[in-house]
Amino acid sequence: MGGLPTNRTVNGFAIDPANSRTMFVAMRDGLFKSTDAGASWKRDGNGLKNLAAVTINPKKPNEMFVSTADGTIYVSADAGMKWKKQQ
Amino acid sequence: MRKKIVLWMLVAAVWILNSMEALAQQKAAPVFEHVHAITLDTEARSLFLGAHSGLFRSEDAGRTWKKVVLSEKHPHLDVMAITPDPKDSKTIYVGTHEAGVFKSGDDGATWKQVNTGLGGTDVHGLAIDPNNPSKLHAAIRDKSDGIYRSTDGGAKWTRVDDGPEGEVKVLKSVNIPTGMGGIFLYAGTSTGLQRSPDCF
Repeated sequence: MGGLPTNRTVNGFAIDPANSRTMFVAMRDGLFKSTDAGASWKRDGNGLKNLAAVTINPKKPNEMFVSTADGTIYVSADAGMKWKKQQ
Repeated sequence: MRKKIVLWMLVAAVWILNSMEALAQQKAAPVFEHVHAITLDTEARSLFLGAHSGLFRSEDAGRTWKKVVLSEKHPHLDVMAITPDPKDSKTIYVGTHEAGVFKSGDDGATWKQVNTGLGGTDVHGLAIDPNNPSKLHAAIRDKSDGIYRSTDGGAKWTRVDDGPEGEVKVLKSVNIPTGMGGIFLYAGTSTGLQRSPDCF
């Protein structure tokens, strides 16, 4: 699981419906992405922090949602590269 | 001059009306307290959010939310996990901190508790097998903590493993074959991400 902050809480976890080896975790430190079933991770999410949950649209795998711990929702239409606060 | 004053008064009136509308929206927005889970249903029509203050549903991609009542008997449930059935868009499972697992077969309109065999009611994770959705795993943190399995859509549960190290925050079955006849269970915990073959 190289690349994730060590000994830190993983709050949320989502799998790409088009490819089970691509996955995301949501942490206080931000959003992280793996394309090798969790063997290695890279920071994603364009600076998002304090994340509690993440999910991917099962019908449109490029569309993702994250929530911060206090319930602010962000949506991405390009598989996590750019995010927009939902309001 | 008079025209200018009238114009400024109009601008001020629009600003006041917008502020009042924003305030009204803020008041109408639910207080989640602490979010644990978000999930789209299988058809991606509704976004569900699980929080310390309950289960919420949005039909407009998270802009507005309505509270979902799981049980009249338990009006204040802390919702830890939301797990839609990937092959039956009407079926959704929810794991709670206080009252175990709830199941809906009508897209969230009505719910029933499905806790037979669970060694406690504090659910910290709830995973559904994407290939065989009647098979679920629940992470329980209570008197008899550990991982429990159901093979009949939650009707009965059996303890199958001690579970991962640390406090489970999220549990998912991932369609990656283990080579031993099963797939992997991933757990997000207080000490990081862990995985285990699900053939306990």
